[in-house]
Amino acid sequence: MNSSITSVKLVLLGEAAVGKSSIVLRFVSNDFTENKEPTIGAAFLTQRVNIGDETVKFEIWDTAGQERFASLAPMYYRNAQAALVVYDVTKPQSFIKARHWVKELHEQASKGIIIALVGNKIDVLESGEERKVAREEAEKLAEEENLLYFETSAKTGENVNEVFLAIGEKIPLKKAEDQANQQHGLRITDDQRIDLASSTNGPVKASGCNC
Amino acid sequence: MSFLESIRQKAPFLDKLAESFTPSMTRDEQFRAEYKLPAEEHIIDDTSADVSFISAFGHAKTLRDKGRKGEQAMAYVFSGKFFLTPHYLVFRDAFDHASCVMIVNLSTVKRVERAPSTAYAFSLIVTLYSGTQILIQFIGLRYRSEQFCDHLKKKLKENIPNAKQLPDFLSSCYSEFLLRKNLLNAKDIAAPSAGLGQQFKFPGNPTVAKEKARLMLWFNYFKENGENLAIVKNHEFQKLIRIGVPNRMRGEIWELCSGSMYLRQANPGVYQKILKDNASKVSQAVEEIEKDLKRSLPEYSAYQTEEGIQRLRNVLTAYSWKNPDVGYCQAMNIVVAGLLIFMTEEQAFWCLSSLCDTYVPGYYSKTMYGTLLDQKVFEAFVEEKMPLLWNHIVENDIQLSVVSLPWFLSLFFTSMPLEYAFRIMDIFFMNGSQTLFQVALAILKLNGDDLLQSEDDGMFIAILKNYFQTLSQSAHPDSSDVKYRQITKFQELLVTAFKEFSVIENSMVAQERARHQKGILQNIETFVKRTQLRHMPRTLNLTEEELSNIYDIFYQSIENHKISMGTGSSNMNFEVFIQFLSKFCDWCRSSENDNDPAFRQQRRNFLKRLFKNWDSGNVGDLTLNDVVSGLDKLLSRDLLESVNYFFSLYDEDGDGELQREEVLQISEGLLFLTEPWKTSRFVDILTKQSIEADIAEKIVKEKGTAMTMDELKLPSGVTIDEEKYKTEQTERYLKAASCFLQRSFEYARPLEVAEEINLIDLSDNEGETEDAKQKKFQSMRANAALDPSHPTVIDLATFRMIILADETYELFFTITFRHSIHVDQRVDLSEAKDKALRSMFDGIIADGRRVADQVRRRVDSVATRSTTASINSITASNGPATIPRDDKSDDLDDLTSYHADEHEELLNNSWLGDVESSDSSKKQSRTLQPINSSSGSQQEDLIEFET
Repeated sequence: MNSSITSVKLVLLGEAAVGKSSIVLRFVSNDFTENKEPTIGAAFLTQRVNIGDETVKFEIWDTAGQERFASLAPMYYRNAQAALVVYDVTKPQSFIKARHWVKELHEQASKGIIIALVGNKIDVLESGEERKVAREEAEKLAEEENLLYFETSAKTGENVNEVFLAIGEKIPLKKAEDQANQQHGLRITDDQRIDLASSTNGPVKASGCNC
Repeated sequence: MSFLESIRQKAPFLDKLAESFTPSMTRDEQFRAEYKLPAEEHIIDDTSADVSFISAFGHAKTLRDKGRKGEQAMAYVFSGKFFLTPHYLVFRDAFDHASCVMIVNLSTVKRVERAPSTAYAFSLIVTLYSGTQILIQFIGLRYRSEQFCDHLKKKLKENIPNAKQLPDFLSSCYSEFLLRKNLLNAKDIAAPSAGLGQQFKFPGNPTVAKEKARLMLWFNYFKENGENLAIVKNHEFQKLIRIGVPNRMRGEIWELCSGSMYLRQANPGVYQKILKDNASKVSQAVEEIEKDLKRSLPEYSAYQTEEGIQRLRNVLTAYSWKNPDVGYCQAMNIVVAGLLIFMTEEQAFWCLSSLCDTYVPGYYSKTMYGTLLDQKVFEAFVEEKMPLLWNHIVENDIQLSVVSLPWFLSLFFTSMPLEYAFRIMDIFFMNGSQTLFQVALAILKLNGDDLLQSEDDGMFIAILKNYFQTLSQSAHPDSSDVKYRQITKFQELLVTAFKEFSVIENSMVAQERARHQKGILQNIETFVKRTQLRHMPRTLNLTEEELSNIYDIFYQSIENHKISMGTGSSNMNFEVFIQFLSKFCDWCRSSENDNDPAFRQQRRNFLKRLFKNWDSGNVGDLTLNDVVSGLDKLLSRDLLESVNYFFSLYDEDGDGELQREEVLQISEGLLFLTEPWKTSRFVDILTKQSIEADIAEKIVKEKGTAMTMDELKLPSGVTIDEEKYKTEQTERYLKAASCFLQRSFEYARPLEVAEEINLIDLSDNEGETEDAKQKKFQSMRANAALDPSHPTVIDLATFRMIILADETYELFFTITFRHSIHVDQRVDLSEAKDKALRSMFDGIIADGRRVADQVRRRVDSVATRSTTASINSITASNGPATIPRDDKSDDLDDLTSYHADEHEELLNNSWLGDVESSDSSKKQSRTLQPINSSSGSQQEDLIEFET
């Protein structure tokens, strides 16, 4: 096994109460809490995963969603290699906000930042709540802006790990030769006992690594 | 408790607030800040006096009884100063301003009487509602003391209506309840309504015995020193706060220290009224609050019930209506959730007001400038006090704000166990924002060794998280001394904060804030601008630079909006809209016609239409986006598009046809817009070409056609007759206006058979004065238009044809109008006045190249045709067909090549002034001068023409 570690600075952006912190909590602790306190300013968490032979350490900056905290965001997306722009599939306003974030990231963040557009809370569609942001609309934005695109549920865990997996795969890894025999398995290392490779969800949309 | 004693001795909590504010504060502001009095209070009078506070319940009572027999000297006497404000009597001792600070609301005063005194010239006994007496012995001149008493008497009289509400207010105070229950033996008296903690228990849940002991201390204090609206604060008061306020008393002590009690007392029923008036209203803030209600201290049981949630909702929404500039900011939910554990809704509401206004100003504002500023200040303190740690933070690129920002923004409520956060709040409400900095620095200091080992943000955060979770543990678990071992980490934190960092006083915080404020506000402005520009509608005719310029002018115009503070509405009403346009549109600048009511009406009508057209939300206010979209349409480079747009301004029902009345309106609009050229304040391209042609002609005449280009020097000493061109231009515009109307009605499609209207071509009547022409024009227009028996309409195609039929108007929509809107220029307000007087003649004179171009053309044409063209025919041949397109004509209105001293000169010789002078025969001339003094460079220019 190769023991080299790639650190990836990742930032979460999106309107208030779309589930940014919940996605992180699901990814980092495989946990979910209803009525989480809003993030004040920002939170920082880390998670290590194995992608093929490579260990990727995600350094996750989770930001406050309310509009007026936007002026703090540049502090956190500075030097970020990846970003999750999250919206709530039942809140059209949150999708507009997501567009704004994508625009801002393309203009202000580091060149080549990998952005994943994430429509969260798909679990509530099951319980009869109406979807207000069409898949097609989000796909169109993702295509135009060259984003990864996922729909997730932090509550059920659906697709959450896949988002990070896809980002991990797009990040330039330390060793080029690793990419040749790269296996698309993702395992949480060490003390974490989650096996992301066993996830039942379909293939990841990431179109391979062309870095 | 011995260590607390030592804090007190070594780190005196002297209330030196008076010195702590920036010098820009007025005396009244300082006074209000020091004693936390409401904004209405100001010092009416002050006087030196000795004072004794003789409580109705304290053991001084016995002294007083004896005092009646002439032994008053046995009561404590403090020397100091009395201040009278509209509703308060404030005393502070002269010793350290903290040994005896008495704040008495005038409503609590029951009686004032003169006291017999031998030692002093003049003394008063003030008897309070509670029976407590204040003995005031005036020092100083007798007449000053009398004056003070007169003022006091007057204010007491004025305050009588307020005094009637006192019992109601006192019944809401826990201190009052505590005293009555125990002193008056009113065992069955009901406790006043209080915070959620009464019902849902208090966090940390201290032992009953400890709580009771603390209550006893406060009970004794109140007995001795008064309570709520009439209290003496001394060192004991501060000590009781430092050892921790009992939960039941906490709400009242917080509101007493923060001064929000005074706000609540001064505004009875206001909170309930705000709630009632806005009961069913919705706003962005209300929606945001709703999202966070269940996310506010969710682990506290009250916030899992509808009752707790409802209280939180009420206070937050009421505040968002009271202060719409702030509205709602995340973290306020947590702070209010904390307050509501100890306070009623109304108490929490006013306490939140005090917090936002004085304790953490700007923290929750729309741009959060206060938060950003205090993070900067905090970093500066860390750098200064803990340079080693600071270097470590910088070297490892650790974002200190991730940990520290929530400390400040949610007052430690989300960082440490609530029971400890509340202890810090006790001191915070007493000492102000310095407390936050002191505690924050102490946290870093106490964890310094560990933090120096951390290599990244993750470790840094983890160390502090662990620290907060172990605050209740011993700070020195390995110590052999039991007493030492009993000291908890939290106690250690307090000692470090208030002892080691006692130097971080409010004055120092204020200084640091002042030092960094400008930079922070500028950063925010840059950020806000960048964000807004990014989200602007797509524009076809505006460059990024122009957009940025429009942004600046827009916000310059809305004076009460502070971008960086996020206060005030960022929308533009009609009056501001006029100001806005007048900053960069030639036709909206002030002119001599402003005194003409008819012209003012024309202007207003046109601008109203424009405003309405731009007001996308139809709300009577323009947003920046509205203005940008509007200007984009106005600045269309396409002739037909701009004619169409102008038409659409008047075609209100959008049916593509203008009725008779609308045609009249449109002609008025054109008259208004063309005014700067009609009055020849500005020169359009036709006139400019005519002038250039004339100059060229003169040169050719003088030098003959045989000259070569090498010989051509830019003419000097040539004079141009300004009056002539101005008159010509004025006439041309008047003619265009009359032709427009004439043709409009000529080509209008009659809805019935229209009677032919005999229009006179005004321009033919040479002898008439301009005034007479105007009059005739007005009456003619009235005749043609106001004939209700013959309705006619013109459609867009006809309108376009009419515009294109006139050289001047066609040019107006092609270039003149567009170039009169200077979105490309930085606006300097001080310049605006001069600009109105600028003349395009200066531009022409300065630009010799174009004249040279004309000369060359003539020389060429003479060479080929050998005939001398008349001035007129040249002008004519240079008519519409040769109207220069954009790039060339840009020079015309380009004022950047304009020399400031030239307009100064113009101001002195202004032809505008000479129009009024009696000597009308004297014509103003200006001397044509070469643009460059060196002939060498001129030749270079000329060579360029030939290529």
